[in-house]
Amino acid sequence: SLHANDTLYSELAREVENGRIVRLLMKLGSINERPDYDGELNWSENGERYVLKLFRDYVFHQVNAEGRPVVDMGHILACLNKLDAGSQEKITLTSRDEQSVFVVSYNEVKKQVNSAWADLQKPSRR
Amino acid sequence: MDGDWEEVGRLLLPPGQNAIPSQAQTMAFDTSQELLWVGNEYGRVSSFYSTELTRYTSFKAGEGPVRQLLIHEKGVIALCARSIHMGLRRGPPLWHITHDDMKDLHCMSYTSKGTSEILVAGLQDQMFAIDVEKGTVTKQIPTGDRYTKMKRSRYICAATQSGSINILDSTTFSIVRTWNAHASLINDMDAQHDFIVTCGYSFRGGNQQSYMHDPLVNVFDLKNMVSLPPIPFPAGAAFVRMHPRMSTTSIVVSQLGQMHIVDLMNVHTSNVRQANVFSSHLTMVEIAPSGEAICLADGECYMHLWGSPSRIRFAELSNPVEFADAEEAQQQVDWTRGTPLNTIGMPYYREQLLSAWPSHMIFEVGAPPSKLDPQLVSSLKRADWFDYAPNTRNARRNQIENTRTTEKTAASLQAPKFLSEKARESANEVASSERRI
Repeated sequence: SLHANDTLYSELAREVENGRIVRLLMKLGSINERPDYDGELNWSENGERYVLKLFRDYVFHQVNAEGRPVVDMGHILACLNKLDAGSQEKITLTSRDEQSVFVVSYNEVKKQVNSAWADLQKPSRR
Repeated sequence: MDGDWEEVGRLLLPPGQNAIPSQAQTMAFDTSQELLWVGNEYGRVSSFYSTELTRYTSFKAGEGPVRQLLIHEKGVIALCARSIHMGLRRGPPLWHITHDDMKDLHCMSYTSKGTSEILVAGLQDQMFAIDVEKGTVTKQIPTGDRYTKMKRSRYICAATQSGSINILDSTTFSIVRTWNAHASLINDMDAQHDFIVTCGYSFRGGNQQSYMHDPLVNVFDLKNMVSLPPIPFPAGAAFVRMHPRMSTTSIVVSQLGQMHIVDLMNVHTSNVRQANVFSSHLTMVEIAPSGEAICLADGECYMHLWGSPSRIRFAELSNPVEFADAEEAQQQVDWTRGTPLNTIGMPYYREQLLSAWPSHMIFEVGAPPSKLDPQLVSSLKRADWFDYAPNTRNARRNQIENTRTTEKTAASLQAPKFLSEKARESANEVASSERRI
């Protein structure tokens, strides 16, 4: 019976993790690339939110040396976990045209997500 | 300059749009890290690390050429014609200011408030005082003169388009004195401690009808408010910088790369060097705050870094540059359907997780899907594996519909009623229709 309990707990831990990641993905998904942001200063290349676009590319749009898409679940999960926790670790984000190069910490990205998310919550945005 | 100075690094600026190398429009040595900052003609600011000039970060500061860069302890301030941008050294922006009266900005300088305020001016009738910490315009100052260059020492020295220099009080921004430095244009200016030094052009009439570099550097003494005897420079003085640590030493450079190191107090002994810019001409010269490095930009998009190979450094006291952390090696996980997602662990944390979902957000689920418009259904055309039709819906893309209420009003099935209920209803109907009449 103790053993069964342990099994239940470890199963629970697994599922709690899923929920956390799905919630995080839902937040990121509802923030990124909304067309009503077109022409908004914050999301332009010199705006604060530009980092969020680059982070999305960093996590989900990895390529290998030949330019082929690489989907590495481990990379995605590790990035999301560090974002969730707001780690101080720094990463290099590069724009698609390789003209912009930023060095940012996960914590800074997290702050931007939070403020973009708070913007979405405001009932009358404009 | 010591005997062992030579070219220690050369860099071709990375291409801008369309892969054409872009010339440096402005550059600045960082005051607290081993970085060289360069602004190009597409509004992009890039930084290069140490004497190898490896690319560090890059960000877009605005539209059009970057006109000037100022280094602040928190980041870098970049001026474009119509906007001012401040970014962290690592790239992310701190603030970005645009203003209707910013039309053709050219120069900026710190004011009497140290590095917490800047004065911005250009070929326009308005100057702006900007709070650097908050990123806001604090004051707009009308000006009669239009400025192309600014340097701050004891006063703010501002070069006009007509070859004169206005010496501005750094608190009130009023003109203390005007000094007519050159006959027609000022090409380069530097100010340090008690001196202003300038290089300029004169208009040569006659057959050539062109501007010529003046064969001398003009010097102004800010302490006694008098001009000093000019420094002769037969090759044609194009650029001049004061040595940041030797307060009376200046470095004068010709457009073809001839460099003279001259003491303002003793102009007849000079130390001469030649930079290898045979195929082109220089467009800009900058000296590092340590005085141990100078950078020359040429018309073919090369940056030449000069200094003594053993002692070259940019900043007086350098903080380490913040690079991205090395990514830790990840264990290989064989992702099967049964592999739990928590195989990748969380890092240590002490604040609220980003995935925390606000508790007030409550959603109704299970509403029926919205109905297709019958008109739309009738106009459907059949393609390979899907149907398509022109959009006739009179609503926004992805606009939400409350399908619950539409479903209710269109309810066709009614619950059976008792006889008494029916009687009451018909009586009501009669009554209401009578009232209507």
